[in-house]
Amino acid sequence: MLHPPRKPSLRRVFQALAGLLVLPLALGRAQQPVEPPHRGHGSYTDLHTAKNRRLTADHSKFKILQGPFKDGDGPAVTRACLTCHTKAAEQVMATSHWTWNVAKDGKDGFGKSTHLVNNYCIAIIGGNTESCARCHAGYGFKDKTFDFTRQENVDCLVCHDTTGDYEKEKAGFPNPGIPLAELAQKVGAPTNRNCGACHFFGGGGDATKHGDLDNSILKAPRTLDVHMSKQGAGMDCVDCHTSDAHKIAGPNYVIPADRREEPKYPGESVSRMSCASCHTDSPHQSYILNRHYQKVACQTCHIPAFARGDLPTNLSWDWATAGRLKDGKAYKEKDAKGYETYATKHGEMVWQRDVKPAYVWYNGNLKFLRLTDSFAIPADGKVVLNPPEGSYADPNAKIWPFKFHEGTQPYDTVLNKFVAPYTAGPKGSGAYWGDWNWDVAIKMGMETAELPYSGKYGFVKTSMLWPITHMVAPKEQALACTECHSQKGRLANIPGFYLLGRDRGTGVDALGLGMVLLTILGVGVHGLIRYLHVRH
Amino acid sequence: MRRIVLYETFERIWHWAQALLIIVLMLTGFEIRGLGIHLFGFQRAVSLHNVLAVALMTLIVFAVFWHITTGEWRQYIPTRKFLREMIGFYLTGIFKGVPHPVKKHRMAKLNPLQRLAYLGFKVLIIPVQATTGALYYFYPNLQHALGWSPSSLWFIAVIHVLGAFGLVAFLVGHVYLTTTGHTPLTNIKAMITGWEDIHDDEYFDEA
Ligand code: HEM
Repeated sequence: MLHPPRKPSLRRVFQALAGLLVLPLALGRAQQPVEPPHRGHGSYTDLHTAKNRRLTADHSKFKILQGPFKDGDGPAVTRACLTCHTKAAEQVMATSHWTWNVAKDGKDGFGKSTHLVNNYCIAIIGGNTESCARCHAGYGFKDKTFDFTRQENVDCLVCHDTTGDYEKEKAGFPNPGIPLAELAQKVGAPTNRNCGACHFFGGGGDATKHGDLDNSILKAPRTLDVHMSKQGAGMDCVDCHTSDAHKIAGPNYVIPADRREEPKYPGESVSRMSCASCHTDSPHQSYILNRHYQKVACQTCHIPAFARGDLPTNLSWDWATAGRLKDGKAYKEKDAKGYETYATKHGEMVWQRDVKPAYVWYNGNLKFLRLTDSFAIPADGKVVLNPPEGSYADPNAKIWPFKFHEGTQPYDTVLNKFVAPYTAGPKGSGAYWGDWNWDVAIKMGMETAELPYSGKYGFVKTSMLWPITHMVAPKEQALACTECHSQKGRLANIPGFYLLGRDRGTGVDALGLGMVLLTILGVGVHGLIRYLHVRH
Repeated sequence: MRRIVLYETFERIWHWAQALLIIVLMLTGFEIRGLGIHLFGFQRAVSLHNVLAVALMTLIVFAVFWHITTGEWRQYIPTRKFLREMIGFYLTGIFKGVPHPVKKHRMAKLNPLQRLAYLGFKVLIIPVQATTGALYYFYPNLQHALGWSPSSLWFIAVIHVLGAFGLVAFLVGHVYLTTTGHTPLTNIKAMITGWEDIHDDEYFDEA
């Protein structure tokens, strides 16, 4: 147990009394007795000493890893790895890190290489694969001719390099200047740097997409992230995102809203992505705080703001304004903080550090729109690309913090579907970033994607929700009660339930106050008359 | 003039403890509600409110026991006898300095208006507060177990809050009426010391 025993206090006695009263009422609901407080801050040194102690192989001793490898010949390294790890590539190939395709609710097409669309870089399949595949766990993913069955195309180093010198380029090939043999001899379990090389850079730049994941985590003080900071628990991503045969526990577009996964058989590898997996579902001293867990995600109170590191995250990306030229050339504008407010490539943008999340009922399901789904534009003119599911009445839903990403993006005004423009390419290629022509870029993109396109496009406002779950702050920085239990608090607009301190209709207070004032008035008059008579 | 023990030790302790508990419950309750009181801070106010509520209910259990075993509960049986005189007294007599219409006895220390008021306090306001309070506290459990609608908490809260305002009004009237004794402080002194000087000649005989 992480928890030291606690002294009984007066409060505990009362809680016990109150607890006795609950007993017959707590039908069915697993009301855990109050758990002792969590004091185990963990230690980077302890954790990594243990991790190193467990290793059974020193890769620098293996002849086959001495190389030499040709410059940039990633597949050669993979072949070397596979001589011992004979089944590793096969395992990787079954995962979404390889397929970039995920099925959800029995439907296909949720994933980067298929029909998923977002309001940052929009979509990959319109001819952008080569430049986006920088983050593919493979070598040579240029277009749809890529051979997804060739084992040597699996990129082992991107996840297992421990030096930090590994770098991928177009189509996912290694930068030719990288000393592959040296890296191959120092492989190990993935650290935050490995995962971060791609996951910190979603949306095309550090901190751009998620808001709770960026490079500042690598040097984070404890105040930024109690888990990953080396002054905190010093954990690696994979300590929570556990893996089973190279399949890393992760959202895959279905994020469990803080449900605790239990092994279905002894020894099953279960993820520790939910807070409760380690902290239990009643980690506070206070029974009342613990009870919030039924309706409020841990993240809601414990991540008071995201993008708390050095870097701003992108809050708005207005594609409709892209393409302005100065003297026939693309340009950029920055504000006083150095944040890019305009770029010909992207349009107007809004960046912010230290952003307060928005809060939404969420049961773990985001209903993603794909390029193949048609949509109706709602009255407010804004299409939500991944509306969250959940409400107060939904027993699986909790109030969750989100980053709302706003933007405009092109869509087919006849078919009412989003389009996948060809964006990344040189001048003369027809790519938007080369020739600044949406008409051509969208037509080419949709052709490459093999999707129907009417030839007519327009721009529509879109909104996208990104669940916030990293950058957990130290407990002293958790939200104070009145951040929500107040009239203009963070939950001012969350519907469907009575919230103490927020929902005091003025009528009730007026009635009560009236009652009190009338009494005071009556008593005052009576007293005054008495006083006057006495003086008489 | 004679001196009698009007309030026994238990009764006095009970009375003042209850007064203190209710006043702090009031302050914490209104602070939680967000009515501009900032004495304890929200979190501490909530803990205090809940702990004191349990304390108050415990005290009430003792008080009920005391009332039953001593037979003191009879003091609160409503009566119409002298009711009209009492109303008349508060409406006019008191101003003219006419003597109090009801004589205090050890076994009949409450006048008919007091009987009504305190009975209402004991069987109506306090139980309503305690019940709605308990429902409030256990709402998450109850809502889940009994399938209540989310708005039922609003309903519980409204009654609890109106009860709270009712208690404030009660407190105002109650404190004021204590000043209507022989001297303004006579009644409060009695509740502190237990003794009261009875000025017999000022009262009609109840018999
Ligand atoms: C007798 C037992 C009582 C119980 C069990 C009780 C319980 C509760 C509970 C559970 C709450 C919700 C906040 C929290 O968890 O603390 C609450 C709120 C409140 N209580 Fe009480 N209470 C009691 C007595 C009183 C009294 C005597 C008063 C005032 C004279 C009072 C005034 C309030 C007010 C104003 C609120 C805020 C309600 C809202 O805005 O929704 N309570 N009470």
